[in-house]
Amino acid sequence: MSGPGPGTALGVTGMSVSYGNLVAVHDATFSIGAGESVAIVGPNGNGKSSLLMGIVGLARRRGEVTIFGSPAPAGDVMWTARRGLTLVPERRQLYPNLSAADNVVLGCYSWTRSARKARRSDAYGRALDLFPDLRSHLRQAAGTLSGGQQQMVAIARGLAADPKILAVDEPCLGLAEAVSKRVYEALARVHEAGTTLIVVEEAPKRALLICDRRVEVRNGVVRAPAGGARP
Amino acid sequence: MMKFGNLVVAGIVTGSIYAVFAVCVAVWYRVSNILNLAVGDFAMTGALGVDYLSRVENWPLPLSILATLAAVAAFGYCYDRVVLSLAQDRLRRHEGIVVTFFFTFALSFFIEGIAQILFGTNVHAAPALWPGNSLNLGGGLNIVRAGILVLACAVISGGMFALYIRYTLSGKAIEASGENYLGARIVGIDTRRYRRSIFVITALLAAIFGIVESPITGYTYISGAVISLTGFIAAAYGGFRHPARALVAGLAIGVLEALLGGYVSAEYGDTVMYAILAALVLARPRAMGFESAVSN
Repeated sequence: MSGPGPGTALGVTGMSVSYGNLVAVHDATFSIGAGESVAIVGPNGNGKSSLLMGIVGLARRRGEVTIFGSPAPAGDVMWTARRGLTLVPERRQLYPNLSAADNVVLGCYSWTRSARKARRSDAYGRALDLFPDLRSHLRQAAGTLSGGQQQMVAIARGLAADPKILAVDEPCLGLAEAVSKRVYEALARVHEAGTTLIVVEEAPKRALLICDRRVEVRNGVVRAPAGGARP
Repeated sequence: MMKFGNLVVAGIVTGSIYAVFAVCVAVWYRVSNILNLAVGDFAMTGALGVDYLSRVENWPLPLSILATLAAVAAFGYCYDRVVLSLAQDRLRRHEGIVVTFFFTFALSFFIEGIAQILFGTNVHAAPALWPGNSLNLGGGLNIVRAGILVLACAVISGGMFALYIRYTLSGKAIEASGENYLGARIVGIDTRRYRRSIFVITALLAAIFGIVESPITGYTYISGAVISLTGFIAAAYGGFRHPARALVAGLAIGVLEALLGGYVSAEYGDTVMYAILAALVLARPRAMGFESAVSN
């Protein structure tokens, strides 16, 4: 087992996430090394998304989360984003009436308040370069794009935050096979470029093609099979 | 024809006030999903506060204006920090919205109560910022000087806001907060801070318009409710979420009101106007934007 050490990108110790009386994640402990790519797998409704929501600070949690060794204050999404952990959430959560370009550029909000700086940044440029198909749709309202294009916008928005750890929740939900493949190819490239990658998937087959190892979530209980920080 | 022209000019002046209040309501709704029913009371506070300080306390006019605006801003900030935070941030989002809506309603009564004690029940107005007779626009058309100031303020504040939304990242963040609350939080947008700053800015804007406009109509301690109501209706015609549509609706209501008052009946003009507005909503709810207020 890899304990929270210097090479640990994300460390989770004894974390529970609950909504009212419902405990979604119970006492989760695992860690992810810098540069790893990890698939979080398990049936739907078993707490995979809640795990991510708790880690980034969008759901109430107990226990400790560290990002590159620093303990994350609970409920502070901004802190998490600034430290380099960005979530591409389930169902994408785009701004439907804003253009695709505006959706992506808002990803830069975690590190700048200047629209000019954001548009000229490497992170923004790289995020768009990853999805050449989006180029011709940048002025279109995000809500009018196809499901696959919306997913690409969501990932691009996540990348515009210049993350060191990118967590993607169900990237292929409701997408056609060919589109899913393109999304995964893009995620593989993100990982190759050095970003630590976390992918939540109900169907682990595809995720495990690009991921080094898996973390299983069943009934809110997390099991991270031994395998070391890096394979 | 001259009468018609003058009525339209007067209607545009009052309409621009409704428009500004409608935009205030719509913008804050976009960010917070809460309707602010106290926006008109800030206008009344501005007008009567300046009148009180300059007429009763004999402060110089610029100082009275600054002091009043500072008081409104400070009050708006504290109100958000204490009451709205308590009402909203600790609750689940949906509960919070309903509770907060009633809190702005309560705020309106609270301000009226204080205003009654401080300013009495008589009609007052802030001193005219640009004193003098109505200006002749040619062809028998006249416009009161305060009306020009109101229009100028409306154009400047509206234009600045439009530019802010279009060209800055924080302007887009405001839009994003209204579009998708969770999506906004995920990229690190502090939706509460925006809720607070927009609340304070709209309160200030309302106060400024109250000060500029009050020489035309005169205010009493309960004038705020009528202004809020009309702004609210105009905002409703824009589906609450569309400041631009709210602006047009505000102008249209102002002109309609002036025309009805001039041609139909000075006494029953408002009644007829509200009947027309209600009929429009019943006949074409979707076109009037009411759909989006409900489904969002």
